[in-house]
Amino acid sequence: MVKYFICILIVLLSFSIPSVEARVYLDINAPTFVQIPIVLPKWKSVEKTPPALTAKIYEVLANNLTLSGFFKVIDHTLLPSYLKEKEGIPSMLSIQEWASSGGEILLAGEATLEGDGLNLRLKFHLVDLVEQKHLTGKQYDSKLQNFRNMVHRIADETILHLTGEKGVHNTKIAYVIRQGESREISVADFDGANVRPITQNQSINLSPVWTPDGQKIAFTSYLKRNPDLYLIDLNGRNLQRFSSHPGLNVSPSWSPDGKQIALMLGKEGKSDIYLLDAKGENLKRLTTGHGNESTPRWSPDGRQIVFSSDRSGSPQIYIMSSDGSNVRRLTFEGNYNVSPSWSPKGDRIAFCGRAGGQFHIFTIGTDGSGLKKLTPNGSNNESPCWSPDGRYIAFSSTRAGGSRIFIMNANGFNQRPLTTPKGGESSPAWSKRFE
Amino acid sequence: MKRKSYIVSVIFVLCIGLILMGCPKKTVVKDEPSARAEAAKIEADRAAKEKEREAREKEVKEKETVRLKEKEEQAKREFERSLVAKRTPGIEGEVFESGLLKPIFFEFDKYDIRPGDAEILKENSALLKKFPNVKIQIEGHCDERGTNEYNLALGERRANSTKKYLASLGIAADRISTISYGEEKPMDPAHNEEAWAKNRRAHFVITAK
Repeated sequence: MVKYFICILIVLLSFSIPSVEARVYLDINAPTFVQIPIVLPKWKSVEKTPPALTAKIYEVLANNLTLSGFFKVIDHTLLPSYLKEKEGIPSMLSIQEWASSGGEILLAGEATLEGDGLNLRLKFHLVDLVEQKHLTGKQYDSKLQNFRNMVHRIADETILHLTGEKGVHNTKIAYVIRQGESREISVADFDGANVRPITQNQSINLSPVWTPDGQKIAFTSYLKRNPDLYLIDLNGRNLQRFSSHPGLNVSPSWSPDGKQIALMLGKEGKSDIYLLDAKGENLKRLTTGHGNESTPRWSPDGRQIVFSSDRSGSPQIYIMSSDGSNVRRLTFEGNYNVSPSWSPKGDRIAFCGRAGGQFHIFTIGTDGSGLKKLTPNGSNNESPCWSPDGRYIAFSSTRAGGSRIFIMNANGFNQRPLTTPKGGESSPAWSKRFE
Repeated sequence: MKRKSYIVSVIFVLCIGLILMGCPKKTVVKDEPSARAEAAKIEADRAAKEKEREAREKEVKEKETVRLKEKEEQAKREFERSLVAKRTPGIEGEVFESGLLKPIFFEFDKYDIRPGDAEILKENSALLKKFPNVKIQIEGHCDERGTNEYNLALGERRANSTKKYLASLGIAADRISTISYGEEKPMDPAHNEEAWAKNRRAHFVITAK
């Protein structure tokens, strides 16, 4: 299913004025930042390309840029009347008239449905309106059915140019969806589109995690009346039981080199953290003692594991070396801190903590400093996980009725639901970038 | 006068002595046959009575056995009647639920057995002792608050502390298996304190009867 990602042909386009050295317009690692106003003129339908298709492409692009949290999107409906109907890529000579649009950056493009109507060509240009400089331009050729991925790439490219790092538009989020008594695993694109069921077995399927290659999902299922760990392909085929000790087999986390798996096993009557090799063999117990140990997650350098333990009497976040030694407690505030997740950049841990009778997403430095509550009062928020670039956190929240998957920037800005208002969704897991 | 009395007394004493020495011999010889018969009769009576008593006792005992057996049968029938087969889509196999095996409940984020619930476990263990072939599975459940994974671990703990308590009451550990469903199988799907209290439970199902 990932094959189509490599079928997109990319051509770098030149413009009448050579592009300038890349500079960072937005330091997204700063604690606060102002969103860049970006203007999106109407896209042009070249030749016989249906205007409805071009409109859809435009809509997905505008939505992607909004979801990124980095932009204030000025779409064509917000433009003054003399700009509103202008379509396609303006010439550099006429670029000055766009300066009055209120945007600092302009992203313009056109769509061409080629030949038999099965192939699509998308062209876009990115222009700095303040300095009147051309930043980049590219052309993508692929099958029409891949149009979303082509648009995701344009959004990613835009973010790369303006922030110095590629976006995560070609990523996916796996999560649990409640269907009556059963729980099934589903996968959606970063923008909530393309929701597809992965399991359809009516069982209780929980706690999805991506394998490092992004080709499979690991999850816990009660198919055999025990919470066993399974692997499944993204097309829902090839179900394989991976760990089936009596009791819990939950929450695997692959080491960055893919050689080891940390997970929760309940075979001794309580949950402990164990290590397995990539084949699921050579079991090694990492935690001992009386605590309930849960949700192990590797540090990006592969040297440490963060987890939750109630060994002190209440669940708190701990860090240990990957051999189980050097255990240190990270959280001291509150009496319920669980489900940690290590940021891909390595500097912060996100977790779910209880404050004022509600559950919130927090982040904290790996040295225990800089504790930050990210979710607003008046809602319950659980199970945080990072995007592969560390700029976003996905989590579940009950703020809009039933539990839904939300995404926010890592500083807590721009919180928005990923999934439809149906509810009953939990336990998000973010994939790597597919490219 | 004094001396005369003395002599009379001596003679009297001697006579008494003679009588006492002679009498037993004479009695034995004289009464032997009739005494034996009498003794035999008494013995026979006694034996008969004993036999009767034994028979009566046996009867009572038999009646008691029958009664106990009936009671046992009745209890068994009652237990059998209480069993409800339960199949869950997507989960292999079949288990039984019985209203006679009562669930116990827990405080938020706790897995220790509360004193009132210990009494319920005593009743449950008495039932399990009556039916030594019965095997059970203890399901540990949580309310919806907190993350799903943490609640799986908590449910595991609740099921196992319940198992430990039953084992301490003399139920063989190999008759008890455990499973945690975390927050995934609420008894009451509402989102309030009342529902949460019902959902934090150890629930018993029968895996072999």
